[in-house]
Amino acid sequence: MKRQSRVGSRLFIGLVFLFLYLPIFLLIVFSFNAGDSSAVWRGFSLEWYSALFQNRLIMESLYTTLLVSLLATAIATAAGTFAAIGLYSLSKRRRDALLVVNDIPMMNADIVTGVSLCLFFVAFFQGWGAFAQWFNSVQGAVELPTRLTLGFTTMLLAHVAFNIPYVILNVAPKLRQMDKNLVDAAQDLGCTWMQAFWKVILPEIKPGIVSGALIAFTMSIDDFVISYFTAGSSTSTLAMRIYSMTKKRITPEVNAVSTLLFLSVLALLVLNNVREIRQERRMDRQEVRPPSFLERLSMRFHQPSWKWVRRGLAGAMACGFILAVALLSGAAYSQPVVNVCSWGEYIDEDLIAQFEDATGIRVNYQTAESNEALYSLLKSGGADYDVIVPSDYMISQLIEEGMLEELDYSQIPNFELIDQRFRNLPYDPENKYTVPYSWGTLGLIYNANMVEEEPDSWGALYDEQYAGSVLLINNSRDALAAALFHLGYSVNTTDEQEIREAFELIAGANRRGVFQGKVMDQVFQKMEGGNAAIATYYAGDYLSMLDNQADDVDLRYVIPEEGANWFVDAMCVLKDAPHYENAMKWINFIASTDANLANMDYIWYASPNTQALEQYPAYYEELYGEELDPELYEIMAAPAQVLERCEMYLVLPPATRALYNELWVQLGA
Amino acid sequence: MRSKRGWFAFPYVIWMALFVVVPIIIMAVYAFTAADPATGATQATFGNFTGMGLYLSVFLRSFWLAVLATLVCLLIGYPVSYWMAKEGPRFQRLAMALIMLPMWMNFLLRTYSWMSILENNGLLNQLFRAVGLLELLGLDHIQMIGTPGAVVLGMVYNYLPFMILPIYSVIVKLDNSLIEAARDLGADGVRVFRKVIFPLSLPGILSGVTMVFVPSVSTFAISNLLGGGNQMMLGDLIELQFLGGAYNPHLGAAISMVMMVIVVVCMVVMNHFGEGEEQAVIM
Repeated sequence: MKRQSRVGSRLFIGLVFLFLYLPIFLLIVFSFNAGDSSAVWRGFSLEWYSALFQNRLIMESLYTTLLVSLLATAIATAAGTFAAIGLYSLSKRRRDALLVVNDIPMMNADIVTGVSLCLFFVAFFQGWGAFAQWFNSVQGAVELPTRLTLGFTTMLLAHVAFNIPYVILNVAPKLRQMDKNLVDAAQDLGCTWMQAFWKVILPEIKPGIVSGALIAFTMSIDDFVISYFTAGSSTSTLAMRIYSMTKKRITPEVNAVSTLLFLSVLALLVLNNVREIRQERRMDRQEVRPPSFLERLSMRFHQPSWKWVRRGLAGAMACGFILAVALLSGAAYSQPVVNVCSWGEYIDEDLIAQFEDATGIRVNYQTAESNEALYSLLKSGGADYDVIVPSDYMISQLIEEGMLEELDYSQIPNFELIDQRFRNLPYDPENKYTVPYSWGTLGLIYNANMVEEEPDSWGALYDEQYAGSVLLINNSRDALAAALFHLGYSVNTTDEQEIREAFELIAGANRRGVFQGKVMDQVFQKMEGGNAAIATYYAGDYLSMLDNQADDVDLRYVIPEEGANWFVDAMCVLKDAPHYENAMKWINFIASTDANLANMDYIWYASPNTQALEQYPAYYEELYGEELDPELYEIMAAPAQVLERCEMYLVLPPATRALYNELWVQLGA
Repeated sequence: MRSKRGWFAFPYVIWMALFVVVPIIIMAVYAFTAADPATGATQATFGNFTGMGLYLSVFLRSFWLAVLATLVCLLIGYPVSYWMAKEGPRFQRLAMALIMLPMWMNFLLRTYSWMSILENNGLLNQLFRAVGLLELLGLDHIQMIGTPGAVVLGMVYNYLPFMILPIYSVIVKLDNSLIEAARDLGADGVRVFRKVIFPLSLPGILSGVTMVFVPSVSTFAISNLLGGGNQMMLGDLIELQFLGGAYNPHLGAAISMVMMVIVVVCMVVMNHFGEGEEQAVIM
């Protein structure tokens, strides 16, 4: 009977572990995939591991992630444990009130915590700036820095702030459980409180501290939103890099780095376990070992007569920590830099190294998830980027709100190479603020094996015969644009009636169950794996899907007859950019033909550079030893007669944007 | 110990005032103001709250799914912690680390993995097809992705360790003599569990439920990735206000505040439930 229940319980634990590890196993398998896909297997390869070690962006962010997570865990665990002990010495009423406040960072939506911390830091920096200016003006001995910016330190503070509640929540029940008389007894027997803490309280509450620390580390390593809003323009965590890749596609390099992280922790665990087994064996053999030097030292250390040594050491550690943080935040000023913010997987990273070698300017290359996420960060004052690469409609919004600086085109001779078609576009009619980076179209992608006839109209998105296998793009602007095209209206209409009519087209299809779901970058997994028949996405990304589709999938791309959206992403400089001159050098470098060719090959979005557009087929042939399919090249870089049918997004007035948002919520709710 | 070490809490109170209370006040200011659409100037208003009725279904769904996820986590997590605590100490330490380890992989990667498992043409459906289950049922595929069940699964997956750890850390230190005493006094296994073990593990359950329920309510992205985007939850709704085209942090802050008030009410009710346990623990 007893025996049986043991088997049952182990089976249950085993099943739970299977549940926990099944996705991890899959994730590890796909780190060895020869293709880019995380759903379609294309053979074994180690290419992502070798690519990983050359990827400076990912390696740097891995380092930052580990550093911030470990530091935040250590600080939060120590602080949270002492705070919990303190809380349990208060009266119950005060304690309960404080515990509610303690839970707030957990209750709040991450993004609200992130934005409010960002606003808090920015306000503090402004206050500090005013104080430092005043302080520097009244005395000449000490020069205080007047301009503080968000960075590693602020991110660390934010992590500590959201970790402490979890530590307290884990330590508190152990304190409740602990027999308080134990401490009194220890003290009656002559322990100092500190000794009682080390010898009685700590062993009692240790499981709580350990689980608190584990959870804190987990929260830190997995956090994205709060880091994004507090990390400033030169620090980036792995999670931030990964989320920003969702603008295009998450590379298996991330799977590779996760696998390595996983395996190293696993190896540590196994080693530790082996060590413990050895220790236990020794204990079994009743071997009494004389205390080692360290053990003797620690025994001495905790004697009351060493009180001043302990206090001195604690003080020295605190000073050392503050110094280290100060050094870390100061280290960035030693070299000329330029702060760039672009999208994930949106540059051939060799270009960054080339630019740094040629100019000696360090590039802090940050990546954002979307135009809107970038805008939100800029609005909160949390980023002092120099160069950003927003899309057309966002550029006109930024210009309208006075957030961009005019460019000095005399320092950007390569602007001459930009094709006339991509100059003086509606978002920047006099071309004072922008140098185009890339462009492309948004069309229909379909799996020819899953549709009866090849669709050539946006109407296919709302067609009942494809019920359950249509993917709606999860972005109100793009989704409504398709419907507006289908109805023959302009994508930039502000007429509420027209917009509502377009929305009804989508909502009706949604009610009839036409849509399988709303997707952004999940579209890769779904289309490549043959899980859906029709989707709306970008031409360049279609080409990447084509390379990774499963054997029974035949993906095609079409620009529907009603017309489609075409977009331009362009480099701009933010108002009050701290490194304007360096920004001009970066823009000029990226606008060169060589850089455009490299980028075009890497991201598969077309270049606005006339020479690069002409030379790319030859460049491709030289690189891969085969001819570039002219049909595919026409999809990548749409010819003029196709572009004529396309319409560019303009910024919509706030009231229309609010309407879009409201309708979009209605669709999901 | 009481009263003497109260000052330990003092630095934390200051810390909370700075990093918890001040940001909350900033958000409250946002929640009670709005930008004038014409001029862009901000002005005080209650308008963010009056329109909240529109989002009733999102509120209901979020709380309902969060309650479901918490219950499932408890139903799975409690037995695991209980049985884990019965194993040898080495196994326990290893198991505790192994339970946390999957969570150190990035959330997006894990969720993408779940997507490829649950997809219509995904791993599970291919498995069903291979063993002939689909043919037997006369189906092309079993719809798993895009259902509320998938959303709950995603939440359970992400928060289960937060349930197991605190419960385990309480159970493992339970005073065995109490259980023996109950046995000696004639209680059977079920009774011992109901009258002794369960009440004694309540503090851990309360912590676990808090750590699962509270973040579940404001969870985002899971519903988008696994729920197909038709299961919008509060976290998504709030995110949309900050990262959507309309950029309305005022409304986002207001929704978040309402959500927090409801969560606080839930927590107070729950802590009230757990009140009796304080006597159960020998102080």
